Amino acid sequence: MFHLPTVQFTEEQEQFRLEVRAFLHEELKKGSFVPKCDSWLSGADSEFSKSIAQKGWIGITWPKKYGGQARSTIDRYILTEEFLAIGAPVAAHWFADRQTGPLLLRYGTEEQRQFFLPQIMKGECYFGIGLSEPNSGSDLASVSTRAEKVEGGWIVNGQKIWTSNAHLCHYMVTLVRTSPFDGKQKHAGLSQLIVDLHAEGITVVPIKFLTGEHHYNEVFFENVFVPDNMLVGEIGNGWAQGLAELAFERSGPERILSTFPLLDELIQELKRQNNTEGLKQASKIVARLWGLRNLSIGVAQLLESGEGDNVSISAALVKALGTKFEQSIPELTRLLVQTYPTLDAQRKIDRFMAESILHAPGFTIRGGTSEVLYGVVAKGVVAQ
Amino acid sequence: MSDMKDMIVDVVERMLKENVDKDLVDTVEQGKWAPKVWHLFKENGMNVVAISEEHGGAGGDLEDLLNIVRLTGKYAAPIPFTETTLANYLLAYTNLQVVSDLATHMLSTDQAYTLENAKLTGEAIHIHWARHTKHLVTLAISAEGTHLVEIDLSHAEITQSTNLANEPRDTVKFHNAAVSQVSAVLSLDEIRAITILETAFQLARMTGAIEKINDLTVQYTKEREQFGRPIHRFQLVQQHIVNLAGETTVALAAFNNVTDALLTHSHNSEVAYARIRFEEVIQAVSTISHQVHAAIGTTHEHSLHQYTRRLWSWRDEGTKISYWTDFVSTQLLENSGDSLWAYLTETKIPMTIEGVIFNG
Repeated sequence: MFHLPTVQFTEEQEQFRLEVRAFLHEELKKGSFVPKCDSWLSGADSEFSKSIAQKGWIGITWPKKYGGQARSTIDRYILTEEFLAIGAPVAAHWFADRQTGPLLLRYGTEEQRQFFLPQIMKGECYFGIGLSEPNSGSDLASVSTRAEKVEGGWIVNGQKIWTSNAHLCHYMVTLVRTSPFDGKQKHAGLSQLIVDLHAEGITVVPIKFLTGEHHYNEVFFENVFVPDNMLVGEIGNGWAQGLAELAFERSGPERILSTFPLLDELIQELKRQNNTEGLKQASKIVARLWGLRNLSIGVAQLLESGEGDNVSISAALVKALGTKFEQSIPELTRLLVQTYPTLDAQRKIDRFMAESILHAPGFTIRGGTSEVLYGVVAKGVVAQ
Repeated sequence: MSDMKDMIVDVVERMLKENVDKDLVDTVEQGKWAPKVWHLFKENGMNVVAISEEHGGAGGDLEDLLNIVRLTGKYAAPIPFTETTLANYLLAYTNLQVVSDLATHMLSTDQAYTLENAKLTGEAIHIHWARHTKHLVTLAISAEGTHLVEIDLSHAEITQSTNLANEPRDTVKFHNAAVSQVSAVLSLDEIRAITILETAFQLARMTGAIEKINDLTVQYTKEREQFGRPIHRFQLVQQHIVNLAGETTVALAAFNNVTDALLTHSHNSEVAYARIRFEEVIQAVSTISHQVHAAIGTTHEHSLHQYTRRLWSWRDEGTKISYWTDFVSTQLLENSGDSLWAYLTETKIPMTIEGVIFNG
């Protein structure tokens, strides 16, 4: 078991939440977006990302010298929750904001920070995450995309897969093998390179999602030149650097709230029907959500304070529990109200149902499969 | 949080570790009494934590007290600690005098006694530790309304019974018995506050038991070998370990949030959410722990059942889940117009945006 801190939001934070909410309701009223379930994967809208950027809400935790606001992880948490709860289209800038920025702040060169961070914060520069390969899903140590050293840079050959929104992204942080695979030290010899997705030798091929939509891609590298200054951190340290990102990636509200718009609509529907029995069932779901939020916010607080060595284990636990929860919402919904899931339905609940059912299988896979996370957590518990 | 919290928790945990073991719990389960443990708690002033000094209290706040209660659950301490301290907390809360002897309570409006001319009449079942305690703090209904009263249990006719864990749960009958103290008529809000406090004490005690079950089970997976290796190495057992740790972590965080919320008077739905969520925690934790312990866990010889039987009993005592699902569903219904999200993140800052009131 894990002891996570409790967080009471300050008055300023509560005020900030309402400010974000008011902005989103205004945008909704203007019709600048249509709420969606799983909007952090499927809601890529560069205009919307730019309007968020104008509010200063991309990279709000980053240092002021790069244009950030140096605000707390908890502030970012609140912001993220509000986006997801309403189903705002945030996918375009999501990965750059969540992962690339913190990665560069921790391991990047000053030149990389000066170059990329301001662009990301303007909502004009998106990053893909180049980890998975066709034969290495959870087993990242088996990554085989290789980078060979040449004068002034690297030549990359290989293939990445499941890269969300690569077709919209400008760059990809790519995990590559810079030394031959060593069976005794599986995690050695991996490095992270920033690859310009518009460079020569890159081919991005769509993989249609089971909704028929285009979110995922295969990315092929054929003799792609990557200059030396695009190496992130140290050569051979790619594994450790990647691990450090995981706590940020795994414990956030996006692992709990992907189907929240559906849950919200379910409650509205039960209210319209004056269905008190249904609402009693729904109160159990609300309690589950509350219980998970406590953990997720607790991990955010640990990340903020930099305490707790096993924060990555707690984060893995939150992801495993949270994704199971968000996955359960469409199932519970269909038992409580009548719906006809259809992607282009008039009724919101039918559309949210369709999005949730069709997206749900991915929740417990992306960002670490539950099976792998269970192994990580179990070892952590036993070691305590 | 009081500065004393860490110290108090340390002292109590040490006291319990040294003085309460399976044999002692067994003794009390056989109907005897553990005067030494109670004496220790009293000697250390633990029975009056969170009672103000003007009421003869020892300082400390509700968070300190709830954490002591949590520890008594973690060690299955065979004393009416929860009962006595909650009784006193409620006496102080309703401006009555606290008592110094052992006390218990009955806070269900469903089986409240009748109060007439300061005399109590009626019968209530499943009163914790009644045979061993001196004072009963209970709800009583008069022509004016509902009151909290304190009455001497020597006036009662007590029929002994027990819960699943053999803890004393007696039937207490009064016939025109004189009460010692009567509160003013309680408002609905005050009665709700009493229910919230009662549930918070229950949650505290259950949290302790859940922690203990988690500890016992994880320890067991390290010690027990099958097919030549400790069972925690098996993936299906690992799945049990994670689900158990997950539920335990949820319970602990929920408990901590409840104490925080009570302390800051920020909101009162936390208790409802926690109590509803605990239902699933208890179900999961008891099933998993017994499955992992396999046959040995089902024997009297092992201590696991001292905790699972308590959880199975405690979840059906006091204010049950149905009350809290009613509470939340009513709030959801009456909150119409607002989104679930606004309800869940309710704050004290009212704000109006073009006619839409958030969290008013």
